[in-house]
Amino acid sequence: MTRTLVVVGHGMTGHRLAERLRALDTSGAWRIVVLAEEAHPAYDRIRLSSYLTGGSRQDLALAGRDFTEDPRVDLRLGCAVVSGDRAERTVRTADGEQLPYDALVLATGSEPFVPPVPGRDLANCFVYRTFDDLDAIRGAARRGRPCVVVGGGLLGLEAAHALRLLGMRPHVVESASHLMPTQLDAGAARVLHRSATGLGLRLHCGTAVASIEAGPDGAVRAVVLGDATVLESDLVVFAAGIRPRDELAAALGLERGERGGVLVDENCRTADEHIWAVGECAAVQGRCYGLVAPGYGMAETVAGRLAGRSPRPFDGTDTSTSLKLLGVHVATFGIIHPRGGPAAEAVFAEGTTRYAKVFLEPESGRLLGGILAGETGSRTALGPFVGHRPPADLEQLLLP
Amino acid sequence: MNRILIVGAGPAAHRLAERLRHHGHAEALTVLGAEPAPAHHRPLLSHVVAGRLTPEALRMPFPPGTRVLTDTMVTGIDRERREVRAQRGGVGTVHPYDTLVLATGARAAVPAIPGATGDGGRTGDGVTTLRTAADCERITGNTVVVLGGGPLGVETASALAARGTATTLVCDRPHPLYERLGDTGGGMLTELLAREGVRVLGGRTVVRRTPGSVLLDDGTTSRADTLVLCTGAVPAARLARQAGLEVRDGIVVDDRLRTGDPRIHAIGDCAEHRGRAAAGLDAAWAQAEDLAEILTGRDTAHRPVPPVFRLRTRAVDVSCIGSPDAFEAPGVRMLGFTDRDGHRYARLALRDERVVAAVLFGLPQAIATIGLLHRRGQQLPSDRLGLLLGWPPRPSSRESDTYEDAMICLCNNVRRRTLSLAWRAGARTVTALAAATRATTGCGGCGPQVAEQCDLWESEARREPGRAA
Repeated sequence: MTRTLVVVGHGMTGHRLAERLRALDTSGAWRIVVLAEEAHPAYDRIRLSSYLTGGSRQDLALAGRDFTEDPRVDLRLGCAVVSGDRAERTVRTADGEQLPYDALVLATGSEPFVPPVPGRDLANCFVYRTFDDLDAIRGAARRGRPCVVVGGGLLGLEAAHALRLLGMRPHVVESASHLMPTQLDAGAARVLHRSATGLGLRLHCGTAVASIEAGPDGAVRAVVLGDATVLESDLVVFAAGIRPRDELAAALGLERGERGGVLVDENCRTADEHIWAVGECAAVQGRCYGLVAPGYGMAETVAGRLAGRSPRPFDGTDTSTSLKLLGVHVATFGIIHPRGGPAAEAVFAEGTTRYAKVFLEPESGRLLGGILAGETGSRTALGPFVGHRPPADLEQLLLP
Repeated sequence: MNRILIVGAGPAAHRLAERLRHHGHAEALTVLGAEPAPAHHRPLLSHVVAGRLTPEALRMPFPPGTRVLTDTMVTGIDRERREVRAQRGGVGTVHPYDTLVLATGARAAVPAIPGATGDGGRTGDGVTTLRTAADCERITGNTVVVLGGGPLGVETASALAARGTATTLVCDRPHPLYERLGDTGGGMLTELLAREGVRVLGGRTVVRRTPGSVLLDDGTTSRADTLVLCTGAVPAARLARQAGLEVRDGIVVDDRLRTGDPRIHAIGDCAEHRGRAAAGLDAAWAQAEDLAEILTGRDTAHRPVPPVFRLRTRAVDVSCIGSPDAFEAPGVRMLGFTDRDGHRYARLALRDERVVAAVLFGLPQAIATIGLLHRRGQQLPSDRLGLLLGWPPRPSSRESDTYEDAMICLCNNVRRRTLSLAWRAGARTVTALAAATRATTGCGGCGPQVAEQCDLWESEARREPGRAA
């Protein structure tokens, strides 16, 4: 007898989950209903910037025809879920339709966080998350004119890069003392800083946006910073972090994490054995993850469980990333925010062109993880040594 | 005739006299010293403070045949007549020379502190600088405040604490040795000194002294039977200036350690070579050795020695090589190590695999090895982390099973070793590797990693054509 999986959300993680279950479920035990809030099927949000600079929606689509035409898959676009009934095991859509499930996976993602600064609702203030956001930004962009990106993290720098390619002259405002504070330390951020400045981005770290001022037309004219600097600006893009979309947890009477997110255990399961959560909306053992790699890890765990296997529980301690940003490779591997006492740190660097830091267990010298920026060796070369004393040619691997 | 007259009887004069005899200087060699006793080994003064050594143990006897006149205060140089005038026991004396060497050293810099210092840098009772063995005896009482966060201040404070004196170290920067150690290493030093019993008050200075206590600029007072001033040194260049020789910070000398007068040389802390004066003991010794060669007819040119110092305290082993600017110089490779809980810290600046600057803290083995390689101008071994931490030799990544056995493609159970064999067998693209090993043909998640590995092997093959994978 076929069972029904309802996936709420067709983002990168929701899609990965559906794909993995299709691959693992060789006996056809599951019918998969995917309910997408947006009017488009899943797309590669990581490469969203390329859409702004000429790529088409099709280029970024994740679901091929084999997925959309699979009879086991029922993909419904523009179909938001507003509530559900756990006793009856149904969800209700905005249109009032009741859909039954045997298993329910919440993959609702997150929404941009817009800091509560005066002027944040003015015309030409945007966020940077969906195709629709980007269409609006493209419509407002004016060549040669200044603009402000709020947030110097991964998303903010992507946005600034895209605005630059649209011919605008972006400022980036980051309240932490350096760029990408979640992933990088000050030394690695210096490499990025140099490259970003070289590309014409104007960076303001260690200060926050105080207010956004309107011109006579009621649209954005200037941004005032905490240190009283006034930046002339035609448009503002908020990329200052995300908040999990966990409204359904309340509607279903499920517990949320301390900092939001649908609370799940290490297998990504809620207290209700039929309901799971993956991706940015999930608080795995209380902690939310904002990158796609851990989201995929969660999808892997849940797909395996649904397929009746016993996959490894999700392990969020390794937050490895590798990306090229503003012409600079930055990567992390292993554990870079060690808990339980400070780790020993070893740094290898040349000017502001390349930088590598590794974290070591102080007593044993075992490698815990590392941060790489610029023309460094690949994290692939280092990854296998996590948990061991680094090899004698550690420095050559880091700075070949 | 080459009668050599040395003014000053400190370590530079001592080393020069020894080396002159070594190189065969057989003619008259006279040393005029202002102190009652001749040269002593000043770096070990803190051991006298701690009570571990007697002042006599620091004496450095001059070689036989050297005429040493102590208690002799030089009052002037007559360059025309090539003679030096002096006062000895209230009697004027005259000392002719063919070659004159000024090795007058430096005197302690004395900041103006009301209640502590008088005109002309004199210190009153209960206040002393620390430059001579006699100064050690002026540190009395049960509570002492040491002012100055340089090496001498740290060594003195640590030595005082070791002999049981309640000791406070006051320095104007956030931590002692801050210019060298920065916040991280400096913070560790403050902690370790505290463990030795030294109370460190960073970011403060002494603004007034009354007998028995000092007032700091934050408004607090500290008990102090004695205030010890470790606030730097000023080259003693008065004689040279009066004789019309060029003096900037110190007595200006060229690479032959010569002043503007070809018969007059200057070495040690009083001399300024290539813009640097009071360069410390290592520089003084190097200058003495080079000048001994120059004065015995060799074609030696003096090159500045990179500043090196080792902190002499029981609290922790610290060594610094080169100047702090070297870390910011273009084209250097920077290495850093920080172990906060273990109180270990290192910074190395390398060029051509050689150390141009280093700060080593709490790493005694590395201090010995790196110091030696630096003195010999030798390259560091490639395993710098192992060198810093004193690790036994260990395999490189290529010899390590961990690396080769790493699972790359989870779906098809393909390890790096398998990929590496396929590469060597001629599969040089991701597609070829996929065909040979099935890696990347499962979920595809390892695609980027295989591509990266492919690039890595390719660039290695380009660099070392004989050793592909």
